[in-house]
Amino acid sequence: MSDTIIIENLTKYYNSFLALDNLSLRVEEKANIGLMGPNGAGKSTTLKILCALIRPTSGKVYLDGIDVMAQPEQALSRIGAIIETPEFYSYLTPEDNLNYFGRLRGMKGNVLAKRIKEVIELVGLEKWSKVKIEKFSRGMKQRLALAQTLLHDPPILILDEPALGLDPRGLVEFREIISGAGREKTVFFASHQLSEVELICDKVAIINNGRLLAYEGIKELEQKYQSLEMAYLKLTGGNVE
Amino acid sequence: MSDFEKLGIVIRYEFLKHIRRKRLYVILGIALLVEALVLILVPTLMTGGYPKDVMTMAAMLTVGPSLAVLGAVFFAGDAIAGEYESKTGFLLFVNPIKRVVLWAGKYLAGFIATALLVVFSYIIIMIALLTIYHQVPIELFKSFGLCLLYAGAVLSVTFLFSAISKGSMGATVMTLLFIFVICGILSSVLTATGKPSWFILSAAGDSVSTVLVSINQLIASLGIDTSRYGQMMENYKPMDIGLAMLGMVIYLVPCFVASIWISLRRQLS
Repeated sequence: MSDTIIIENLTKYYNSFLALDNLSLRVEEKANIGLMGPNGAGKSTTLKILCALIRPTSGKVYLDGIDVMAQPEQALSRIGAIIETPEFYSYLTPEDNLNYFGRLRGMKGNVLAKRIKEVIELVGLEKWSKVKIEKFSRGMKQRLALAQTLLHDPPILILDEPALGLDPRGLVEFREIISGAGREKTVFFASHQLSEVELICDKVAIINNGRLLAYEGIKELEQKYQSLEMAYLKLTGGNVE
Repeated sequence: MSDFEKLGIVIRYEFLKHIRRKRLYVILGIALLVEALVLILVPTLMTGGYPKDVMTMAAMLTVGPSLAVLGAVFFAGDAIAGEYESKTGFLLFVNPIKRVVLWAGKYLAGFIATALLVVFSYIIIMIALLTIYHQVPIELFKSFGLCLLYAGAVLSVTFLFSAISKGSMGATVMTLLFIFVICGILSSVLTATGKPSWFILSAAGDSVSTVLVSINQLIASLGIDTSRYGQMMENYKPMDIGLAMLGMVIYLVPCFVASIWISLRRQLS
């Protein structure tokens, strides 16, 4: 299988703070990878560079073989992403927001309308599709963000703490949606929730201080360290957030 | 999908945002109220009712569209800064669209919204003049054109402040301070001392009313004796339309280009 996500010698400084230190990682097509690490480890920075939201100090990232820095529009057309806590235009409805983003991705007419209905139903927001988002809770915005991510059926999902703010039912539904999508798509998924990562991902990348500490299958890590939690604790120096 | 098609989509949805927000209607209401006040107060306070000269009344009524231009500040204040401040950029910027197309679309949507307010204000002026004087002076159309240009220039200045500000409120306040305080002071000092002031945005914007009558005529029509101000009032000569237009273009183009340039370098971290 080919590598869908390639991160090569990625370094990022925020002024004098080193957020990423020569990070390299390859994600195979249709693999579900969990990106783990303590706060400030560099997870969000990595995902933001993959989404062309920030520029690296040095290094390269590729999505489906496309250089993200050189051809951001082409690279972004391959992904669906949730970065940080998603905020939508609060004075528009979910349908308006999804229409806007869908059209920017070249969808239109009945195909777009049908797909919006499908993804809104998938995340359980059908009763709220015509309500202004200013009335939404954090969990509802998170559900809508997931709908937005799946709207154009992208081959790659880049998710940064996507389950944040979801209630227990929402968490189960989210896991089912991502697991289902993960059978057909590449999922690169940053999270602090080890149980979620264990249930969704086949392999994890553990990073700290911008460096890759481990990149192995969950089963292999469990064999080496007894459990994923122990692996995380030992590799990151007990610094669990 | 071409950049031009994407530009159209951005304009459509950015304009939809302006329509759904209350500020469009608030500014519309203020412009309406101001026109109503002029139409009520002028005949009430001036001896002899409305001025005999249609141009003087038209100039007095241009206070409405000039206020409508302020809509540009409120539409554009959060255009760039808002995407970073409210973090909506995390959803918008991950779409396959060039940032320059995105900012241009936001600018055009803001301009269309402001232009609508300006058109609405001029329709009210035309109806008022037709009702009172049974005529509309051709200069009113020149005033309309200058007002649209002024709206574009104010929008560009606001975009620049929005590009350099962390927050929308900061961008809005900085623009208002720049236009009303800094430009206002500079314009007054330059004009009172007989120096050219066409390159000051607010002075160039004054041409929206001075294309109809000069400041001297307008003050005189209010019954104020301008001779007591001596030499100073003589310095308030009508500004050449070409210079006034140039004075607005030097803000419109460079500020818009600078705002795009700065925004393209801004990162959402």
